[in-house]
Amino acid sequence: MKLHYVVFSIVMSLLKPFSKLPGLNTANILLVESEEQLQQPLADVLVEEATFTVNVRLAKTLPLPVENEESRPRIDLVVFIIHLSSELSLQSAEASLKHLDSGYFLGKVCFMVTNARDASVPPERLDAVRKLAASLQSPLLFAEDQTPNGLTTATERLLTILKGAAGLVPMATALYLSNLTRYSLPFDIDQPTFD
Amino acid sequence: MTEEVLGGLAPTQLSGAAQGELMDLCEQQFAQLEKLQNEIILCESDFSDSPQEQSVNRLIATEAELKQWLSTEPELLAENSEVLLRAGKAEMLKLCSELEMVFSCSEAKRDKLRETKVCEEKWLEDKTQVLSAAMNHVERLKMEKEKLSEQSVLKDTKMKIEKMKAYEESLMDCLGDILEKHIPHPQNGASGYKKTKNASTEPEEDLISLGEILEQLMNKVLETPHDPYVTIDNTFWPPYVEMLLRYGIAVRHQENNFKIRLETFC
Repeated sequence: MKLHYVVFSIVMSLLKPFSKLPGLNTANILLVESEEQLQQPLADVLVEEATFTVNVRLAKTLPLPVENEESRPRIDLVVFIIHLSSELSLQSAEASLKHLDSGYFLGKVCFMVTNARDASVPPERLDAVRKLAASLQSPLLFAEDQTPNGLTTATERLLTILKGAAGLVPMATALYLSNLTRYSLPFDIDQPTFD
Repeated sequence: MTEEVLGGLAPTQLSGAAQGELMDLCEQQFAQLEKLQNEIILCESDFSDSPQEQSVNRLIATEAELKQWLSTEPELLAENSEVLLRAGKAEMLKLCSELEMVFSCSEAKRDKLRETKVCEEKWLEDKTQVLSAAMNHVERLKMEKEKLSEQSVLKDTKMKIEKMKAYEESLMDCLGDILEKHIPHPQNGASGYKKTKNASTEPEEDLISLGEILEQLMNKVLETPHDPYVTIDNTFWPPYVEMLLRYGIAVRHQENNFKIRLETFC
């Protein structure tokens, strides 16, 4: 009995996509961002724009604290927000990925890159993010966080994916959608550029 | 999915029978959902967690889903006609609003295309005009070319040369007339002056007229352009030389005071 409990707690530290019952007409999205800059504005717009009930949960890193385990709803989509201007942002996201159940990678994870327009960003970092998204077969979105328009666009994209991931679209599943939206690596990413 | 669609529709105006039927359906669905949920929690995931195996996981899952879709029988909605009517109406309204959006979108697109068409037509008209103008020009040039033969060009040039010669002649005549009228030969004009004022100096007999001085200067410029200077000798009447210099018709040599040349008029 005791052994079973230990196993249980280890399993629970891993975020699972199907560990809880879904709510009616509800979608839950988890925004993971180590900088905590884009999370809050994005969450506000997400709740505002959605035509269904959206619960937005914010986290700096994974794993999520065990105390809230009971009250936490089923997470339908995990979004990793990566600031391209900092190496730490990418490293933090990579570390957090280990605390996700592999079931999430079947269409319930999405990467959102921001600050990509900054000229000082080394191109290798963007390549690293692209490789990460491609290896996890997840969609890669680019967001402009400086303008309200960019924020709305990012929100619309997230909501589209979220709707599919939460099962609110008849005849579509998260896996089916993600087979179409996952990021596939361009062939020339490892080729040297000549410019 | 069905549960949610019907749940969203469950209205208060429905008759008790219809409502009951819907509730039954919902409960069936929810029970099914709970059963599946428990199965999921209990079953051991045979997926590996390493990211390298993600594509394998995805393939397995996609294949399973495909199998599921293939074996799924389409389910009918509730049999109650009231419910069907509601669902159908909602679906129709949704379809209508979607079609309206498509319509307005295509209308906007059509208007834009119309604008583009007007622009393009104007552009085409402009280009056609340019083309026709260019064609006219080409035509005219062709006709001129046909008209012009080698002989006619020669004749033309000859005529121009003749014209120039006649013009030069008239210019020279004019100059000669002016000189004769206003600037007399020094010997004739100066003789009276000298006799009265300065009889001591011998009047020089071989003085030349201003016209001749100018002629010498001009000839020198034309014959030896590299050395246009003419030496002043005693045949040049000094007042005339002075006059030429003063009015900027002639220029003195920078090093040799006895040499002058014609000013470069051009």
